[in-house]
Amino acid sequence: MAEIELKNIAHSYNPQAADMNYALDPFNMTWVDGGRYAILGPSGCGKTTMLNIMSGIVQPSEGKLLFDGVDVTTLSTSERNIAQVFQFPVIYGTMTVKQNLAFPLVCRNYEKSVIDAKVQEVAEALSLQGLLKKSASRLTADQKQLISLGRGLVRDDVAAVLMDEPLTVIDPDLKFRLRRQLKEINQKYRSTLIYVTHDQNEAMTFAENIIVMDAGKIVQVGSPAELFDRPKTTFVGYFIGAPAMNFFDCQASGGYMLSIGSAEIMTGTDLSKVGSAPLKLGIRSEYIRIVEAKGANTFTAHVQRVEDMGNYKLVTAVFEGHVTKVKVERDIAVPVDRVELQLPAENCCVYAADILVS
Amino acid sequence: MGYFYTTLKYLAVTLWSVFVIAPFLWAISTSFKDFQSVTNGATYIPWVDFEPTLEGWRALWKSPAQGGVAIVEPFFNSVFVTAAGSAISILLGTLAAYALSRFTFKAGPIRNGDITFFFISQRIMPPVVLAIPFFIMLGKFSLLDTLVGLILVYIVLLMPIAVWIMVDFFNKVPREIDETALIDGCNPYQAFYKVVLPNSIPGIVVAGMFCMIFGWTDFFFSFILTFTEVQLLPVAIVALNSSITPWWSLSAAALVSVAPLVVVAFIVERFLSKGNLSGALK
Repeated sequence: MAEIELKNIAHSYNPQAADMNYALDPFNMTWVDGGRYAILGPSGCGKTTMLNIMSGIVQPSEGKLLFDGVDVTTLSTSERNIAQVFQFPVIYGTMTVKQNLAFPLVCRNYEKSVIDAKVQEVAEALSLQGLLKKSASRLTADQKQLISLGRGLVRDDVAAVLMDEPLTVIDPDLKFRLRRQLKEINQKYRSTLIYVTHDQNEAMTFAENIIVMDAGKIVQVGSPAELFDRPKTTFVGYFIGAPAMNFFDCQASGGYMLSIGSAEIMTGTDLSKVGSAPLKLGIRSEYIRIVEAKGANTFTAHVQRVEDMGNYKLVTAVFEGHVTKVKVERDIAVPVDRVELQLPAENCCVYAADILVS
Repeated sequence: MGYFYTTLKYLAVTLWSVFVIAPFLWAISTSFKDFQSVTNGATYIPWVDFEPTLEGWRALWKSPAQGGVAIVEPFFNSVFVTAAGSAISILLGTLAAYALSRFTFKAGPIRNGDITFFFISQRIMPPVVLAIPFFIMLGKFSLLDTLVGLILVYIVLLMPIAVWIMVDFFNKVPREIDETALIDGCNPYQAFYKVVLPNSIPGIVVAGMFCMIFGWTDFFFSFILTFTEVQLLPVAIVALNSSITPWWSLSAAALVSVAPLVVVAFIVERFLSKGNLSGALK
C-alpha cells in the first residue's frame, strides 16, 4: 500500500486546441494509506478521468503523481501496482475463476505456491471457493464483478484499489452485501480503496471520506457527516441528501441575524462582513422543526402536501414563495393548512455567491 | 390467408432448395456415369437409367498418360497456397486490425477509418486492374509460375478481408479488457496475445473461413500467374473442358474441389450461428 499524492494535477483531452477545456481542473489531493474514499459527482464531472490518471490509463496534461513520495507520473500502468475495477465486470472469459484470480500474480512471475495460497485466501474472502474451477464466462454479473475485485486484492503490493462505479450491474439486495464486504476487506487488508460513484447513498455508506466533484473541480472533501451538515457550496447541498437542502434567498440584518422576507432568523454564522450581498440560507429538511407556537427563529408556512414515505413523513410547505421540505416522524401530527417552522441556529448554513460563509 | 402464406413460403423454400441442390445432384450423378451414359441422351437415376461406374473418380489420380486427369497435385497446391495465404493474412490482418482498433493514427487528413477503408478498397477494385502489376512484379522477382508468388498475391487479396472483419470484431471488444490486462501487469503485447487474442478466436475463425473461401475459389489470378510448373485446382478443372470433355471426371473433380469448403463450413458453423462476430467478453 502507499500514500498517493496528486500535485497540481490537471487534464485536458484536447490540450493542443486553442479553446482548451480542462476535463479536470488543477488540484492537489492526498490519499492516505489504507483509507476508504468515495469520489462523488454527476456524470461527466471528471471522476473517471481522475481514477484513470491514478491507474496510468490516462497521462495527465499537467502535474505530478507521487506514490509514497516517488514520482510515478510517467510510469506505465503495469509498473504502478494499481488495481482497478470497472463499471462493468471485466473477466478473462477463456480462463477459469482460479486462472482469473491468479493472472496478476502470473504476470509478475510469482512462484506457484505463493499464487495458490493467495488465490485461496482471496477466494475465501470473497466467497468464491466453490467456483474456482468454473469457467469465468459462466458466472452471474455479481460473481464476475467479485472476480474483478479479487484480481485487485490478490496482490500484496497493490498501491490502491480503484473502483469505477463497480456495483452498477449488481442487484440492489446484493449491493448492500458487497459494500459491507468491501469495508471488511479494507479493514482486513488495510488496502486503500477509492470508489467512484454518482450515487450519494453508496458514497455515504461506504466511505470514510468523500470527494465531491462538479464540472472538473473538487468542490468539497470531507466525512459523510461534514458533507451533510456543512456543505461548502450550494451544489453540495443540492447534491447530497434526499431531499436536497432547503435554500432561502435572504439578506444579512446585523450580527448573526438575517432576514428571509418578513422572518428574522438567527444563525450560527457571523454575518457582519458580508454587507448587503445577496445571501442564501441553507438548512436540511431533517433539522427543521414543526412547533406549536410562534417563537424565536420561526415562520408560518402554508402546508402544500404531506407525503407518507414509509418510515417518515415529508411535508412540503410554502413561506412567502419559498418551498420548504420538512422531514417529520410518522406519528407526529401535521396541521392541514398552516404550520410553524423553526430553524435551529446551529443547523443554518449561510452562503454568499453559493460559497459557505464560515 | 395464413394457410396460403405458409404454402407460398414452403413453395419458395422448396424451389430455392432445388435451385441450390440440383447442380450438386447432377454432378454427383454425372461423376458415376461413363461415356455412353453421358452422350446418349439425358439419364438421371443410377441402376435404372444407367449403370454407375467409378471410372470418373479413378481418373482423378491417374496421370494423363494413363488416361486420367491428374488433379491430385493441383489439389494439394491449392491446399498449400490457400492455407499459407490465409494463415499469413490472418496473422498480419489481426495485428493490423488490433492496431487500427486501439491506437490513433494521424497522417495529414488520414485517420484510422481511412486506413481501414484503404484495405477494403483493394477488394473493391476489379481484379483485372491488379493482374498486370502483379504479373510484372512477380516476373521481376522470378516468382511467376511459383507457389511462393501465388501465396504473396493471395496475401494481398486476403488480408483486406481479415482486416475488415477483425477491426469490426476488436471494436466490439471493450477497451477495459486491455486496460485491465495492463493493470494486472501485462505490457501491451502481452495484453494482446494473452488476453485479447484468446477472446477473439471466434472472430479469427470467421475471418479465416472467409479467407479460405476466397483463396480456394480464386481462378483468375492462378490462371494469369501460372503456366506449366504450378497449377491450382480451379485452373486444372477448367482445363478439363477440352474438345472431348470428360464430364464424369470433371464432375468428380468439381465435387472434390467443393468438399474442403463444406468441411470448413461445418467446423465453423457454430461460430457463425452464434453470431460470434460480436465480442461478448463482459
